[in-house]
Amino acid sequence: MVKYEQQLEGNFLNLTQVGPGTEVRVSRLECPPTTCQRLREMGFCENALVTKIRGGADLVCWVCGTRVALSARLAKQILVEHVDGRS
Amino acid sequence: MNQDGKKRWVAVVGNPNAGKSTLFNALTGLRQRVGNYPGVTVEKRTGTAFTLHGEAIELIDLPGLYSLNPRSPDEKIAWQVLHGESSGVPRPDAVLCVVDASNLERNLFLVTQVMELGLPVLVALNMVDVAEGRGIRLHPQELSQKLGVKFIPTQAHRGKGLVELRAALGQSLAHPGPRQWTMPPPLAAAVGQIAAAWRESLPAESRAEGKALELLTGSNSGPEGAKKLAAAWRERFRKEAYDWSAAVVHARYSYLQTVLKEAGIGSGISGGSWTDWIDALVLHPVAGWGILAGMMMSLFVSIFSIASYPMEWIDAGFTGLGQWLQGWMPPGIVCDLLVDGVLAGVGGVVIFLPQILILFFFLGLLEDSGYLARAAFLLDRVMHPVGLSGKSFIPLLSSYACAIPGIMATRTVEDPKDRLTTILIAPLMSCSARIPVYTTLLAAAVPVALVPVWGKAAAMLGLYLLGTGSAFLLAWVFRKKMLGGGSPPLILELPPYRCPAFQTVALRMWERALIFLRRAGTVILALSILLWFVSSFPKSSEDESINLAGSFAGQLGHWIEPVIRPLGFDWRIGIGLVASFAAREVFVSTMSIVYHVGGEEEGLIQAMRTATWPDGALIYTPVTCLSLMVFYVYALQCLSTVAVAKRETGGWKWPVFMMIYMTGLAYLGAWLVQIVGRALGF
Repeated sequence: MVKYEQQLEGNFLNLTQVGPGTEVRVSRLECPPTTCQRLREMGFCENALVTKIRGGADLVCWVCGTRVALSARLAKQILVEHVDGRS
Repeated sequence: MNQDGKKRWVAVVGNPNAGKSTLFNALTGLRQRVGNYPGVTVEKRTGTAFTLHGEAIELIDLPGLYSLNPRSPDEKIAWQVLHGESSGVPRPDAVLCVVDASNLERNLFLVTQVMELGLPVLVALNMVDVAEGRGIRLHPQELSQKLGVKFIPTQAHRGKGLVELRAALGQSLAHPGPRQWTMPPPLAAAVGQIAAAWRESLPAESRAEGKALELLTGSNSGPEGAKKLAAAWRERFRKEAYDWSAAVVHARYSYLQTVLKEAGIGSGISGGSWTDWIDALVLHPVAGWGILAGMMMSLFVSIFSIASYPMEWIDAGFTGLGQWLQGWMPPGIVCDLLVDGVLAGVGGVVIFLPQILILFFFLGLLEDSGYLARAAFLLDRVMHPVGLSGKSFIPLLSSYACAIPGIMATRTVEDPKDRLTTILIAPLMSCSARIPVYTTLLAAAVPVALVPVWGKAAAMLGLYLLGTGSAFLLAWVFRKKMLGGGSPPLILELPPYRCPAFQTVALRMWERALIFLRRAGTVILALSILLWFVSSFPKSSEDESINLAGSFAGQLGHWIEPVIRPLGFDWRIGIGLVASFAAREVFVSTMSIVYHVGGEEEGLIQAMRTATWPDGALIYTPVTCLSLMVFYVYALQCLSTVAVAKRETGGWKWPVFMMIYMTGLAYLGAWLVQIVGRALGF
């Protein structure tokens, strides 16, 4: 049985903490279940590759071939890791 | 024909902004509204399409969906149609999935869910030109083989691929094969058990599995036994800390990534496009606001400068028609009715058609270019402190045109409290019906020659900002203090920019022109005739002003004058306020009738500027005009808005609340303008 808590190791950044133009991999979502589900359906599922296009109060990401705008509050709940393994 | 020999129904399904309505229009020849932002379609629409063999098929255009786990009311409409639970349309015989070829991975996520509904599926691989422009190589044949459903490349906006699509729709569409994505073991056990409890009543195994997954997700439709099993599995997963919903999404995406990889379809370039270059400017924290303000200012300057020429022509046309009628017809009641009733009422409103068309031209450009979603992004920073997300701004922006589509557009808002708050404040956004009132009162307040075009545009912008600012303030009161709960986070897809299609913008202007003229020819015409009658009878004198004072309308005006006197309004304005309860623009036609000026705009403005109180003081002082404008910024003078609010909130409670708070606010605002104006010595 998969337990995401068990899969995760080490420290992760949240999406607000990476710079524009950086490609990251989604490690974990820490938002309410319905919001998590919507994020996953829009492409922000665990292991998905996301490129942050713009930062700021709200940010824009490139995921699954689309630009998606997210509020910074929500972006803080998306934990990511660098694709090259840096944290 | 389906198995029963009846006409076939095909649902058109896809992600928001995948081009469903464009394809629907191309196949049916209808003019369903389209735009370049997610959430244009908020209700189901049907139309007849023909296969290559001439068979008629009923297409159902549905609101966009990201998945079959609906959250917002528009998504629920699509879900109900697909499950045969929608009134007015039968369960579809097949599904036409429209996918954005430039964004296949996420679009196919929904297709994998639709394939589990137990219905034949056909996929339109739309926007292939956009995908190829991004360097994505598409292989429809391989996709068809791997997913087990037919893929047909299309470019709906250019009419390409329609012949192939009509041919495919004419053939007997196959049911999708068994599920191909691998369900994680714990989930497979749960779904297997729930599906077994349901299978007896369902023919196709794949559908039982799909239904079982939906039940697990929280759907409430199904046999009691299956529902209890789903609840038990959910509880078990919760105790074991197993995130099964994440596992389902992950499994589907993993499968799709493998399919796309094997089919040699990449994701294309992810940045550096001209959309990103424009976004760098329009989403800039400083420049972005400047651009938004500049566009709004350009809109209002255009409303006053460009529109003035056609307005003069319409004005001259109605004046000439009135003079011709007076010369051709013998003086009497019929001539008075036509000139002082019909022409004054209808002409007084129709003259504002050019300004309204300019408003819709600008809104059309914003919608079709893809800027609207960016405006919502910018406004999220302002909306968040008042308890709403930027997503609510799209319905609010639509309300600048008319509150009715604005309130309907709130169906895209997922949170019920957010949606209710957005409905309650939408009528505060100054709609196109207020333009005639604002323009007339601005002209009456200050002589035209003394104010440059930009001055009038700035005044108009000020009125719009007053409505918008008040809406945000009240959103804070309603959302944070009255309804409670936190504000939702913004998740919004930003479509790529595209050059606005002239045809789409022109069509929208044409439709609004027809609606406006139809209102002028029906509601306003009827009210004008009624007003002419109640303001002309009973005849008490040959003097028009004495006769008006003694007429039915005059008596009503005198009756309510004590209530509106503190606002600086006389009994004649009172007639206008009562008459415009049905529709705001009726105020202008009412004033044209009350002042006996025919359909001439300039005549009305002159009459208002010289109107006096019994003591000789001017009625329409700048302060009173401002007071009246503030009244119209806030007052809910639109019966159609009340009706649509009742439908969308499911009862009378909130529309009545809306009427009370808006009327109260209008009175208070107008009174405060008078108090402050007098205190400052105006």
